[in-house]
Amino acid sequence: MPPTLGLILGFLLLIVLFLYTFWPEKTATGSNEKSEIDYLVERREQIEENLRDLNFENSAGKFPAEEYEKQRGILDGEAAKLTAEIARLKQA
Amino acid sequence: MATLGSFSLLIALAFAAYNFFAGAMALWLAASGRPARVAPERLATTARRAGIAAFAAVTAASFALVWAAFTNDFSITYIAEHSNRALPGAYKFAALWSGQEGSLLFWAWLLGLFSFILNLRYKQDTTLYAYAGTIMASVELFFLVVLNFNAPPFSLLTGTPIPDGNGLNPLLQYWEMVIHPPMLYLGYVGFTVPFAFALGALIMRYPGERWIGITRVWTLVSWLLLTIGIFLGMHWAYAVLGWGGYWGWDPVENASLMPWLTGTAFLHSVMMQERRGMMKGWNMLLIFSTFLLTLLGTMLTRGGLVSSVHAFAESSIGYWFMVFMGIVILVCAYAYIRNRKYLESENHIEALVSREASFLFSNLVLLLICFLILWGTLYPILSEVVEGAKVTIGAPFYNRIAVPIGLFLLMMTGVGPLLPWRSTSFKTIRRNFVLPVIALWVTVIACLVAGVRPWAEGKFQGGDFYALVGFSLAAAVLVAILSEFLRGARVIVKLTRRNIFFSSWTLIRSNTRRYGGYLVHIGVVAAILGLCGAAFNKTTESELGLNDKMSVGPYTLVCSGFTQDSNENYDTEYAMLDVSYHGKQVFQLAPERRVYLASGQPQTMVAIHSVLFWDLYVVYEGANPDTGQPIIKAFLNPLVSWIWVGMLIIVLGTLLALLPTLKLNGRALAAGAKKSDGGN
Repeated sequence: MPPTLGLILGFLLLIVLFLYTFWPEKTATGSNEKSEIDYLVERREQIEENLRDLNFENSAGKFPAEEYEKQRGILDGEAAKLTAEIARLKQA
Repeated sequence: MATLGSFSLLIALAFAAYNFFAGAMALWLAASGRPARVAPERLATTARRAGIAAFAAVTAASFALVWAAFTNDFSITYIAEHSNRALPGAYKFAALWSGQEGSLLFWAWLLGLFSFILNLRYKQDTTLYAYAGTIMASVELFFLVVLNFNAPPFSLLTGTPIPDGNGLNPLLQYWEMVIHPPMLYLGYVGFTVPFAFALGALIMRYPGERWIGITRVWTLVSWLLLTIGIFLGMHWAYAVLGWGGYWGWDPVENASLMPWLTGTAFLHSVMMQERRGMMKGWNMLLIFSTFLLTLLGTMLTRGGLVSSVHAFAESSIGYWFMVFMGIVILVCAYAYIRNRKYLESENHIEALVSREASFLFSNLVLLLICFLILWGTLYPILSEVVEGAKVTIGAPFYNRIAVPIGLFLLMMTGVGPLLPWRSTSFKTIRRNFVLPVIALWVTVIACLVAGVRPWAEGKFQGGDFYALVGFSLAAAVLVAILSEFLRGARVIVKLTRRNIFFSSWTLIRSNTRRYGGYLVHIGVVAAILGLCGAAFNKTTESELGLNDKMSVGPYTLVCSGFTQDSNENYDTEYAMLDVSYHGKQVFQLAPERRVYLASGQPQTMVAIHSVLFWDLYVVYEGANPDTGQPIIKAFLNPLVSWIWVGMLIIVLGTLLALLPTLKLNGRALAAGAKKSDGGN
């Protein structure tokens, strides 16, 4: 390819990309921030997931009964705390 | 093409610079709330689009280089040095990443591609994506600065035009070399994405752990591609270098292994952050280290800081990389220290025997081995700086440390899945570990009976000892994983009253991440079995005249001819060997030695016959100048195939882990069972 043609193609590329970059957008992109409630809901979903795993492993006979009850109690307690906090924030 | 390529690279540099500076400015304006003539949202939009424009321009430059290779444009120095007219098409394409300038261009193109994909999904979480996009733009900007000012791929050859190029390095003229470097690069560049999100989340104090979920696919895919790249590199070294091995602890091999080790540690410990909000600071350090090690890997391969059979290109770009890595370290350290409170754990390890603790131990061991490899790799440079003499560390140093540590990690692949989260009672340990321990001791006895004896011939045999430990641990881990899986499958059988195969598939779909991970662990077991086979390698060398014989293991090789041939790319001489197995002729091998015409460089082409138990590996060492007869070296390498089988299992496991999980609902399953009963 002759250098002149290369230069012309290069300039064309520059113009197209410049227009693409700076052409005004009709709708501005709004920001999509995460709220405190979103964060707590995420945490609660994770604890529910952990509870599901625990229940499944218990059904598979991985733990003795007392150990399962202890672990389940801890996770239930954490989920309850989060649920209360979410409810408080929603009311506020 | 040189003009278009150079111009495109300049355009890419301008847009990448705008992407970075405008993106950073938009984030700063939005965070500080300062008034500005241009709204931060508008600035961020143009920055994001500039990132896409930079990718388009890098694509144009890459296209120009590939086009120049295919049209034999030897006015471009890079093409003259890495291609020639007779080079087959696939290798002409591979010329893009065969030299320093081309491979840096390829890096920049891949990074641009990944940024482009992220830019398409920016609405998911606008601010976090904007931070990540700006961080990625800074990396892209660095590569484009190097490409424009230090390693230009389109520089023109001065003096009289040459009719043909020097051709591709013969070591690279092998089919795997068309795949291996892109795989490694995809892995290296891919880790930039979780790095950018992690650093972005840290700087903006992103609430929660969702950034881990967003980057999970990127992390897994990058890890997978790096794994495939490493295995392909091993296979290439095995099939091409002709020394009978696959891993020589070469600095460039080490450079690919180090980010793999920290990446593996990150993949495991990040689960603790997701599940329990733990190890946040640790995970940040792991992903920072992984990214820095990918840069180090690129620098070692392309910078020529250390000598290596793999360092196909050498120049001063190492210093550019060092400066950039220094900047990255400073930025990461500043962000880490400034936001350390954000990284405080919500929970702590409650017991030393728990899933969390097993992850932590494995992590520490992975980091230890990574540090030792880093030390060994950089020692020649450090010794030269400190003592004035380059001291190289050889394979025995690495083997001494890597083999026991590797076996410990093998054990952890079985122990981890058996331990519950938080804490474990003695009862639980007894319940879960009985079968694996039985498997371990049964295998120890079986190996001893089969003749694997570390104290044979009156002295301690290290290779046999490690093989014995490796085989036994492999059996224990396999039983541990299978028993864990079957335990789960039986629960599904009870719930659905369907057969074990349906239940197993339902179980896998219910937690693809966990069971994909288990499959990866089985792949690791298979690969380590293959590595253990090296303890029993056999080798023999002989000059063979017509109808002469040599034996290795159960094979006898008879020379049925030796000759020469040539084509437009290379001259070759090879031997025809009829191979008998226990006295019965079964196949023929033709090891050869080529001399490439463009470069005048010789290259061995090994003949390999692989079965699951061993490889017969035959090398044409050259012809005896006095007799003209070929000198043949034959190896019997047990279990090597299991390394490649292991890789395939790892690939399958990772792909499985990438599949979306089916939410299991006990009631729905029970209803399904009733329906199935009704149907019967």
